[in-house]
Amino acid sequence: MTTGSGEESELRRILALATAAEPPAGAADRLMARLAAVETTAQVVPFRPRATRRKSWFAYAAAVPLAASLALGIYLGAMGKLDTLLPAAITGDLAMSFDADADLTGVGEAEAYAEEHT
Amino acid sequence: MTGRTGKGSAAAEDYTKADDADLLMASGQRQQAAFAELVNRYHRPVYRLVWRMTGGHADSEDIAQEAFLKLWRNPSQVREAKALKGWLMRVASNAVIDRSRKPAHADIDAAVEVSDPAARTDHPLDRAEAAALVDRGIAALPDRQRLALSLVYFEGLSNIEAAEAMEVSVEAVESLLARAKRGLKQALADRWRDLLDGLA
Repeated sequence: MTTGSGEESELRRILALATAAEPPAGAADRLMARLAAVETTAQVVPFRPRATRRKSWFAYAAAVPLAASLALGIYLGAMGKLDTLLPAAITGDLAMSFDADADLTGVGEAEAYAEEHT
Repeated sequence: MTGRTGKGSAAAEDYTKADDADLLMASGQRQQAAFAELVNRYHRPVYRLVWRMTGGHADSEDIAQEAFLKLWRNPSQVREAKALKGWLMRVASNAVIDRSRKPAHADIDAAVEVSDPAARTDHPLDRAEAAALVDRGIAALPDRQRLALSLVYFEGLSNIEAAEAMEVSVEAVESLLARAKRGLKQALADRWRDLLDGLA
């Protein structure tokens, strides 16, 4: 770092004039006292989990009618008792009315048309 | 490393010959005597740096304490024991810069009263005036320049050590020093010759 130049030497002489700061008397002792205080206050507080409350049976009260409703719905659906209330697409009417013999290709109609017009 | 654990042993009381690595390890085991030795070794340079950085503010002691408390809370933050001094310098200087960024509290009582010898150039400077003048010139430098100047010229760190402490490149430290020298010379231009002649 030292260049040995006159300028460097001048700078060092100027800086040597600056106040030589020293810690105030007892500063190290105050630091150690503060450190001891930190140590005392920083003791770990044991973690105590909050006591959990036992769940009341009322918590299950809502589940019972829901389960019953679901079971009834499944039962009625399986028995077909709700078909009148539900859309045909759901109840399967469309599938039920499907006629396997029906000509869905249009070929038969085309043949009939051809016969009529020849 | 001497392998000392120091738990309740009589040897734990005598840390004066232990190296920094041992002291850091013992401090990690909450040995206050070991930490006291670290304080004994490094409190003065850290305080001086803070004092220089704050321009002699009354908070200097408090800021220097903070750096040591941070070390005490977790000595393992210092990865290499040989870098301890630089680490303390960095923590302290960062604390100073952080405080300087906070809004001023107009703490008039806490501020060091420094006369302005530069205002009068018609009389020879006495020692106290010269010191105040140079202190003011240094205090007027930007933070980073003042830090580089303090580390190298007042605390005797090499440019490499200063660069590590400041977490910048060596070239950056050299640049900061060059600007600091120019700035100081400019600030003291009126009395530069007087200051030098007064010492001759």
